[in-house]
This record gives sequence, C-alpha cells and structure tokens, in this order.
Amino acid sequence: MDYGLLIRSQYKAGDDMVAAFDDCMAQARLAEKLGFASLLKGSHYAGAPLQELQQIPFLSRVMAECPSLRLITGIVLLSLHKPLDIAELLATIDVMSNGKLTFGAGLGYREVEFQGFGTTQKDRVARFEENLEAVVKLWTEDNVTLKGSHFNLDNVTLSCKPVQKPHPPIWIGANADAAVRRAALMSDTWFINPHQRMATIERQMEIYKRGLEEAGKPFPDELPLMRELFVAPSRKEAEELARPYLEAKYKVYHQWGQDKAMPKGDDNLNLDFDDLARDRFLFGSPDEVTEQIVKFNKNLGANHFILGIHWVSMPNNLVLDMMNIMAEEVFPQVEQAL
Amino acid sequence: MSVMKYGIGMRTQYAAGTEMQTAFEEQMEQARLAEKLGFDSLMKSSHLAGHPLQEFQQLPFLCRVMAEAPSLRLITGVMLLSLHKPLDIAEQLATMDVMSSGRLIFGVGLGYREVEFKAFGTTSKERVKRFEENLIAIKRLWTEDRVSMTGSHFELDDAALSLKPSQKPTPPVWIGANADAAIVRAAKMADAWFVNPHQRLDTIERQAKLYKRALDEAGKPFPNDLPGCREVFVANSREEAIEAAKPFLAAKYKVYHQWGQDEDMPDDDNDLSLDYDELLEDRFMLGSPEEIAEQVIAHNKRVGINHLILNFHWVGMPQAMCLESMTRFAEEVRPLVEQGI
Repeated sequence: MDYGLLIRSQYKAGDDMVAAFDDCMAQARLAEKLGFASLLKGSHYAGAPLQELQQIPFLSRVMAECPSLRLITGIVLLSLHKPLDIAELLATIDVMSNGKLTFGAGLGYREVEFQGFGTTQKDRVARFEENLEAVVKLWTEDNVTLKGSHFNLDNVTLSCKPVQKPHPPIWIGANADAAVRRAALMSDTWFINPHQRMATIERQMEIYKRGLEEAGKPFPDELPLMRELFVAPSRKEAEELARPYLEAKYKVYHQWGQDKAMPKGDDNLNLDFDDLARDRFLFGSPDEVTEQIVKFNKNLGANHFILGIHWVSMPNNLVLDMMNIMAEEVFPQVEQAL
Repeated sequence: MSVMKYGIGMRTQYAAGTEMQTAFEEQMEQARLAEKLGFDSLMKSSHLAGHPLQEFQQLPFLCRVMAEAPSLRLITGVMLLSLHKPLDIAEQLATMDVMSSGRLIFGVGLGYREVEFKAFGTTSKERVKRFEENLIAIKRLWTEDRVSMTGSHFELDDAALSLKPSQKPTPPVWIGANADAAIVRAAKMADAWFVNPHQRLDTIERQAKLYKRALDEAGKPFPNDLPGCREVFVANSREEAIEAAKPFLAAKYKVYHQWGQDEDMPDDDNDLSLDYDELLEDRFMLGSPEEIAEQVIAHNKRVGINHLILNFHWVGMPQAMCLESMTRFAEEVRPLVEQGI
C-alpha cells in the first residue's frame, strides 16, 4: 500500500502566500520523513475566491524538499494546453527528479479556464484525446508529425525526453462514466476521484474493467484513489475539527460546477457534512480510518491512497499532526490488516 | 553598491545523446557557484523542440534552481510570449515570484522558429499582435482583480488570478529585442530593453539611440537597469581564450543560424553563418581578465548596460572549464571593472 500527500496549496483571499508556500514546503519535508510514497498537486486557473500555487512551478520547486517522493500532476487540465508545451515541461520535471514524475491528466470543467485558453467545453474531449496521443508520441518518438485540431507538429523532436521508459506513468482522473472508459482505453490506470461514494465507484469499476477487456489490457498493478482525510484521536474530535473546513471547501466546488461532471444520483456536493463523510471521506479515529482504507482496498483494489489533508484556513500544525497520526498509527495498522 | 550587476545565463544546452540527469547536476553546480561568487541573477532561455540540441525547459528549471541559489534574481530570458496564453503565463510566473519571495524578472520576446509557432497553433505572421495583447493581458491580470478582455486567441471573462506576484505593481518586464521595430516596442511596453547577445557593439550603439528616442516619445526616463547578454570566456590571453572556446562557440552559432535567428537581426549585422574569426569581432567577450574588463566597461560607457548576463557554458564545454571561467570572472574581472568604471 502506498500513500501520497495532496498539496492543494489553497488559501483564502488576503492570506500571505509567501508564508503559505513555506507551510507547503514543511508538509513536503514531513511527507519525505514519514515515508510517504508520493506528492500530488492539482491545477486550477483563475481560482478566485481562493488563492493557489500553480502546479508545474510548484512540483518543480518542491522536489528539492522531498527527493524520494514521486511527483504527481493531479491533474493537468490537458484539454487547455498544447501538447508540445506539456511534453517538454513534464520531460524536464522527470529528468530533474531522476524519473519520479507521474502524469495525471483530466478534462477540466470550468468555463473561465476554457475561455482563457481560447477553447470551449464542447471541444474538450477531442482536444484531450489528441493532446494525450501527441504527448505520448513526443515522449517516445523522434521526428513526430501529427496534425491536431489546434496544433501542427511538423517533424518535431523534443528538447529532452523523460527518464522513465517508455514514458512516465499516465493516470486519467475520471468522474463521469465516459471518462472512466477513456481511462481504461488510453491510460496506465484510472485515477479514482475524491468526490464519489464507494457504491458509485464500485459501479464504475465494472465500466473500467469492461474497457480494459475491450482494449486487451490487464488490470493495472497500481490503482490510485484520492480521498479527503480527517483523522483525530476520536471520531468526535475529528468531527469537531473538520466541520468548518469541509463545509467551506465543498461549497466552493459546488459554485465552480464540479458536480455537473459527476454521474446522476451522486452529483450533489452541497450536502450535509455527516452525509458527505459517510463512505466518501476517510474520517474518524485511527481505527476507523484504518478500517475505511482496508475496505477501499478490498472492495476496489485501490492500493495508492492520495490523502487530501489541508483545507482552506486550516493551521499548518493541524495538517502536520494528522500526517504524523497516519504514519504512526494508521499505516502500520493497515499493513497488519491486509 | 557597485555600478554593474552580473547574471549567469543558463542555456542548459547539451549535444544529443548526452545523459541529461548528469547535465542537470552540472547545471545545479553552476548555480551554486554563481550564488557563492556573489552573482546577482540567473537567467534561463527557452526553446521548444530544440533538437539537435537537448535542453531543459525554462519554467521548471527556474523553479527548481531557485532552491540552489536563494539570493539570485531569476530571469526568463526570454520567454517566447507569442506562443502562450496570458492566463497560463500570468499564473505560472506569479507562483514563481511568490516561491522565490519576489525575485522574478519577466524577460519576453517574440520567438522566431516556425516549428514552435505551428506546434502552438499559431503563425509567424501573428506573433507581434499576440505578443502585444498577451503582455497587456498579463500585466492586467497581475495588477487588477477582475479582468475582462477579448484577445485574438483568448477571452478573459471576469477572470481573477489564483495568485498575484509578490513584487508590486509587477515583476520587472524586460523585452528582448534584435530588430529595430522590437526595440521601439521595448521602449513603449517594457521596463527595460534587454540587449541581445548576438549583435556587435556598434550595432547596439546605433539601436540604443533609437531606444532613447522612443523612450522620449513615450515620456519615459532611461531605465535604472539596462540589461544585456554576452558570451564570455576568461583565460590568460585573448589568443588562449579564442583557441579554447572555438569548438564550442562555433558549433553553437551554427545551430542558431540553422534555426533562423539571424533573419530577425538588422540587415547590416545579420549573418551568423560568418567564420568564427569574424563572429568574434566585438560580439563575444573572450580574453584575459584585463581585456574582458575593458569590454565590460565599454558596454557600460557606450550603451549604458549595467546588468550583464553572461553565458559561460556552451554545448560540449567540460564543466571544469566553465566553473573556472566563472570563478576568474568573479575574482579577477569584477574588481577591475569596479576600479575602471
């Protein structure tokens, strides 16, 4: 079982981002020390009312603090970008980190981002697919010629290739059923998203497996799952501490329209907190969280848990405390239980 | 405070086949030495699809190297701005500025290689328009809370950045310019003209007059910082420096010529396919510490350049040779310039 740390790096308007950056570096150093396997950074553009550090610069900088952790783009909003740009940026990260990059990719869903990049929501699937194909070609071939709907690669050879051969692992983050199928066909593994319940994921797992069969691909060795975590000495303490952060966070996702990309029946993120916590988060005492992780592993096969620990306005020492509880109590208990 | 500031130019270019992880370690060693020797800044250029050379990309490299050189300014030198989307660049650079506690200098230029324009879904013909609208949009995104603006290839609809740069109102903006029209643009749109490394000093002198006239027209004062970039190699004598540098520099300029860089330069100074000996004329700083100090002083006196970015490393140059040249520059050339200026 591997554990990763999500560094969301989201802060409220007005917070000092230089201090926030130092807090993020402290999280990364502790993750290295505690034996986490990976570190993941998401990407949102024009994220106001929240402040946030950008993915590629952040991952490039943070690797100096945690030299043994894998670095995961979780996710690159691939339909926004040009494949030559992404292929070169990520190849540089892979070389600088001695081959520790994992390329997580997804569609994106916010109108302000599509407009800012001169594209539309309607084009996003076509652009995602042609971009991914082009990035893989650029990483693995010399003299690539490929004409896409919004780019033209004319006998292109990258400035540098990734260290990992044939290429860094590719994870597709997928919420919607069609995207889950795409993950089976086009990537090395489905990166299971943080918002959905066990029952929804179990249903989608059947779609994923059918897609793998169709493509003649085996079930992946690595099945990553992202979850929000709140762990404290007791369930009651966990609830008390978590309530303000979770409520504020999910309100923003709801405003941004994240729930429009999710399957019917499990698409209302604007729920009561207790309801959200059931089967959706890792939540409670170390024993309870252990049980939940084991359940996700047994039911789904998930074996790389990316943990979202920091929420907007949460003091950094609380994040570090929870990381310590995980490493000291939960990680060993899970090992025993499996 | 000394009159001159010095930066190290890090092209990070290596021949095809070179192991790039080793190359990366070398680059980090150069950065640590620059920090130790008291350089003021560090610059990374940008080329995409740079084959037959290998190199690291600008933004990831600058973000990583800042950890090795915590007191140096970090310069994008230059970013090929017409290729990109302003929201993307404004956010990436704001992150870099915050992570470095406000040490970014935003150097920008047009770009000139067809392979890059095509891959970004644009053309050489559109580059000036896209450059100008991108720069305007980035400055607005950095300084205003809600931006609405329709460009030829993007639309900002009430967009508010995820974060603003640390430096207020914005990080310094330098425009790298070879062509006369670009120099006028630098006067109007940037905090400084970034004098390019390829031209002879007499060409730059003529263009500096053009730059001053354009500043006057815009009602702007001459900038406090006038940056320029040069190739440099310090040895015991000019003959020795020329001999030692020859295999690396000659190869380098051959690639620039293949890429088409000289098509962007003024007609009387646009042939980078010249013989090595002719290229040396007034273009490169090669020689003894005394000779180089004299050249640095000439650049300051004749043009006003007071922030000199120096390329010490060229493709194929052994690391030890580069580190020694850097050290000699800092320890021998720098004091001579201070005395002579």
